[in-house]
Amino acid sequence: MQNKLAQLTDLAIEEFKQAKGRRELYDIKVKYLGKQGQFSVIMKDMAQLPKEERPVFGKVVNEKKNLLEQFYSEQEAHLKKIELEQKISSERVDLTLPGPKRTTGGHHPIALVINDIVMILSRIGYSVRLGPQIEQDWYNFSALNIPADHPARDLQDTFYIDPSHVLRTHTSPIQIHTLENEKLPLRILAPGAVYRCDSDISHSPNFHQIEGMLVDKKVSMADLKGTIVFLLQNLFSTQIQVRFRPSYFPFTEPSAEFDCTCPLCKGKGCRMCKQTGWIEIGGCGLINPKVLEATKVDGEEWQGFAFGLGIERMAIIRYGIEDIRWFTENDVRFLEQFTS
Amino acid sequence: MKISLKWLQDFVDVSDFLTQPQVLADRLTQVGLEVESIHDLSRDLNQVVIGKIVELEKHPQSERLTVCKVDVAQGPLRQIVCGATNHRSGDFVVVALPGAVLPQNFAIKESKIREVESQGMLCSESELGLKETSEGILILPPQVTLGQSFATYAALDDVVFEINVTPNRADCLSHFGLAREVGCLLGRPVQKLSPKLKLSNRQIKDKLSLQVKAPKSCPRYAGRGVFGIKVGPSPQWLKQRLAAMDINSINNVVDVTNYVMMELGQPLHAFDLNFLSQGKIVVEAATANEEFISLDGSSLNLSETDLTIRDGHRAIALAGVVGGKNSGVQENTVQLFIESAHFVAEGVRRTARRLGVQTDSSYRFSRGTDPELVTLALNRACELIQQLAGGDISSDFYDEYPNKLPQSTINIYLSYVSERLGYRVLSEEFESWMNRLGCEVTVCERINDSNSTSSSLAKDVHYKICPPVYRWDLQHKSDLVEEFGRLKGYHEIPEHFPALQQMPTPHTTDFILENLLAEAVTAAGYRQAINYGFTSDSFQREILGEVQDFSSSGLTVSPSAVTLQNPMSEDLNVMRVSLLPGLVKNLLHNCRHNNEFGRLFEIGSVFKKSEDSSYTQNLRLGLIAWGHLTGLWTQNNKTYPLVFDLKEALSIVLNKLNLRNVLWQTPKVVPQLFHPTQTAALFCEGRQIGLVGSLHPEKAEQYKIRPGVALSEIDFASLMRGQPRLVKIQSHGKFPSVERDMTLLVPVELAMGEVLKELKKTAGTLLQRMDVVDLFTGEGVPSGFRAITCKYFLQDNQATLDETKILSIHNSLIQTLQTKFKIQLK
Repeated sequence: MQNKLAQLTDLAIEEFKQAKGRRELYDIKVKYLGKQGQFSVIMKDMAQLPKEERPVFGKVVNEKKNLLEQFYSEQEAHLKKIELEQKISSERVDLTLPGPKRTTGGHHPIALVINDIVMILSRIGYSVRLGPQIEQDWYNFSALNIPADHPARDLQDTFYIDPSHVLRTHTSPIQIHTLENEKLPLRILAPGAVYRCDSDISHSPNFHQIEGMLVDKKVSMADLKGTIVFLLQNLFSTQIQVRFRPSYFPFTEPSAEFDCTCPLCKGKGCRMCKQTGWIEIGGCGLINPKVLEATKVDGEEWQGFAFGLGIERMAIIRYGIEDIRWFTENDVRFLEQFTS
Repeated sequence: MKISLKWLQDFVDVSDFLTQPQVLADRLTQVGLEVESIHDLSRDLNQVVIGKIVELEKHPQSERLTVCKVDVAQGPLRQIVCGATNHRSGDFVVVALPGAVLPQNFAIKESKIREVESQGMLCSESELGLKETSEGILILPPQVTLGQSFATYAALDDVVFEINVTPNRADCLSHFGLAREVGCLLGRPVQKLSPKLKLSNRQIKDKLSLQVKAPKSCPRYAGRGVFGIKVGPSPQWLKQRLAAMDINSINNVVDVTNYVMMELGQPLHAFDLNFLSQGKIVVEAATANEEFISLDGSSLNLSETDLTIRDGHRAIALAGVVGGKNSGVQENTVQLFIESAHFVAEGVRRTARRLGVQTDSSYRFSRGTDPELVTLALNRACELIQQLAGGDISSDFYDEYPNKLPQSTINIYLSYVSERLGYRVLSEEFESWMNRLGCEVTVCERINDSNSTSSSLAKDVHYKICPPVYRWDLQHKSDLVEEFGRLKGYHEIPEHFPALQQMPTPHTTDFILENLLAEAVTAAGYRQAINYGFTSDSFQREILGEVQDFSSSGLTVSPSAVTLQNPMSEDLNVMRVSLLPGLVKNLLHNCRHNNEFGRLFEIGSVFKKSEDSSYTQNLRLGLIAWGHLTGLWTQNNKTYPLVFDLKEALSIVLNKLNLRNVLWQTPKVVPQLFHPTQTAALFCEGRQIGLVGSLHPEKAEQYKIRPGVALSEIDFASLMRGQPRLVKIQSHGKFPSVERDMTLLVPVELAMGEVLKELKKTAGTLLQRMDVVDLFTGEGVPSGFRAITCKYFLQDNQATLDETKILSIHNSLIQTLQTKFKIQLK
């Protein structure tokens, strides 16, 4: 009987060795070690042995079973490893190929510049106000100290809707709406689309501006300069310097145009700044007391400054855009280049 | 405004800047008179000198050419080959030496012309840029200096500035005016004109009566007679000065009036006295619809708001704008009435703009002239006319100036100037600049520190300041702050960071919401587009079709667009009523450039006129998608209508906005732009807010668009109602969810959305979600039906669901399908 057991064990080991896959291996295991397996049969045969031999035989059977179980596990692990290796090598892909296409969205450069300026000036307390694009004459002109038949009206070529309504020529009317409706002191930013009836290679009849206004008890040109330096250093680079040039806007007095050192060449001179090292950015000044009067704000008690700049121009400087038509063609090859 | 430095030199010494004009230009720009360009006339005539032909021979190889030996005073004789025929030996000529670069970049070099050396060129007037065309070379009169620079000889050694004079600085629209500014700036004396008139004993008042009936529009009117003149060409110096201003020479009289305008800034007009038949000059308003023929022959239709100069019954000039054809100076004119007047700026501007007649005169009057210069300019003109055209000047003259224009007085404290500029201003410096500007400065009070008596350390000074009349722009103390600030230099202004003492307010809601929506749409893979707010009326109509069709979709589209009174072109003549025409235009642009795939959105305003005739603008969201996503992994996919792609993008947007109660329904009316059977109305929380659909196949064909196109427009206010919405987080449950599916046979004309809506209602609160996972037709599916597989998930947050509960829900779903829709399971 001992011999039979030894033969059976050898046979099982031989069969385990021949197994091609884990399923087959398992079936062999069941065949020998399962409930109905060969070893169970032998255990039944044990009843025929004399009583005193049974424990010894039982012990031997268990030893053999354990031996087979262990051999099985080893064999199983071995097969598993082979199968995994085969699976892995069969799943090889060429990752230099592209994946399924997806689209990425993105903002228009005009929106990017507006949002950046808003973000910068929000930090120092400015909040956004909006206004209508079809504006009453009063808000676009008269309240801003540009009375009818005043030569200052020539500064802006105006689209008229009817005798008392225009397409706003600047975002300054938002200053008037705000001064009429809100408590002082205040700091606002007014971005938006504006219209002028001139169009050439560098002017579009519909473009974007952003204006900032601060009204407080004591406001100086130095405050204005400091604020503009803060804005431009954050928008372009901390190396930026700002200069003021005297100018004329009916709604500010004193008025200035402001330039900054060219962000491209750092003031050395390049094509963008026409070799001057300086780039014209926008207009600014202290709010003309007549504008405050027009909105029933006491010009002796309150003072303020305002500044405005063209968004397209900022985008041109920042991104090196060569043609203003690109802003409104909405060519996907243009828009897809903006990564944020 | 063009300014000739040599002319400026008549009034203020700028000779040191002739060789370095950029220095003066920079100074002017720094004080607000921006020099836009500098034209150095002599630069074109460098190496161009006066020479004398001392020998002249025929060219050995050519009949047409001559070989000249020319003396140019310096160096040996120059041998020059010349093709002209009008020159002889002994003539004085203009020689361009090698190295000269004549106008139009014509560089002169030593060369061989038909094997004969030529060391320069003899110039014609056209080659020198003096005339458009000319015959032969320029022969100079014999009284010239050999070897002299031609620029010096011809007084072309001038520099002309083009200055951008801002509307407040009308006082700088003349050489005298700018000289005043330069004098102030550089601290140099300014020469004043004092015309010397040889008066005759003739009287203008005998010939002509004057009546100013509109003193409000014409506060000052002056005039003088000149008799027995001879109209003829102007001398060279006058022609040259006018040419530098881009003014054509006409005759000696008209040229003088233009010259004085450019010199003093006062426009003048010369009438031929013989045409003033009634012996009257009346300044009064035109009659309505009166016809007036201007000097250049154009017919103008006047109104009662236009001021005219009349000779009794007819208009002879449009005041300050243009003279009449009926009374202007002609070749045979012998006696003149010279007008010099002050017309009110607003009136001249209104007339000039309404009639579209812009002249140098109306430009100056519109910006404001100096009433105190009226008689000076008049006398200056008479002086020059007498010099150039002879004649007798009337001993008397008219000068109607009943009410002197008021001069403003400004009260200002020195501390105000310091506070507004942001640095400490010294009283001496302030007073000095005010004086240099021509202001009368009166110190009302010096407020001293208690422990100091020195005037320079005064704590504050109270001034009364009277600006000169020609600086009518200086009316308020803030104007004086600017004057001091710019003259002292804006570079003096320090940088100071204003303290924030108030609590910032939130951004206006629409700005926050626009950004919120833009973020959501970009997350769905769309690129932001920005189009003009105005568009072409015809294109807009063509794209939108019957606009009433939009009104049932929650988008009120105005049937008549807001129209521009003065459009630049027909391409941009109305305000947009929808974002779709702009986006279609972008599509066409992209397709033309073979961009066959694109996803664009725009958030922008559309415009309409309200019933109360005010204008309103409403924000919209527009989307357009064209071209399927194709590539390695999708190439064999069946192509689905692109509108589903757009619909899914919108679903992402709606999800990001936390909008759950959303329905897509077949619209009652489909606008003509959209595909009639591939368009859905979007309902959100029970309200219709927009449309999603494919482009109508006819439009695709009309515009030759190859890729599939889907479009959408949604009302911004309806979409963003109650935004930004706070998200309330639901528990995701700790008990397992179970998954079931069923395949339905749905008739093709029945919208699956309706079925899903009912099924979700029936399933109740235990339903987590229900998805459509498969759709097929064909084998095994009866015709007229679609087999649609739905998968749904049930979960109870309180307990594990038992099989009977699940079965009862499944059965109730089947029940609903059968009773409501007569739908069988497959």
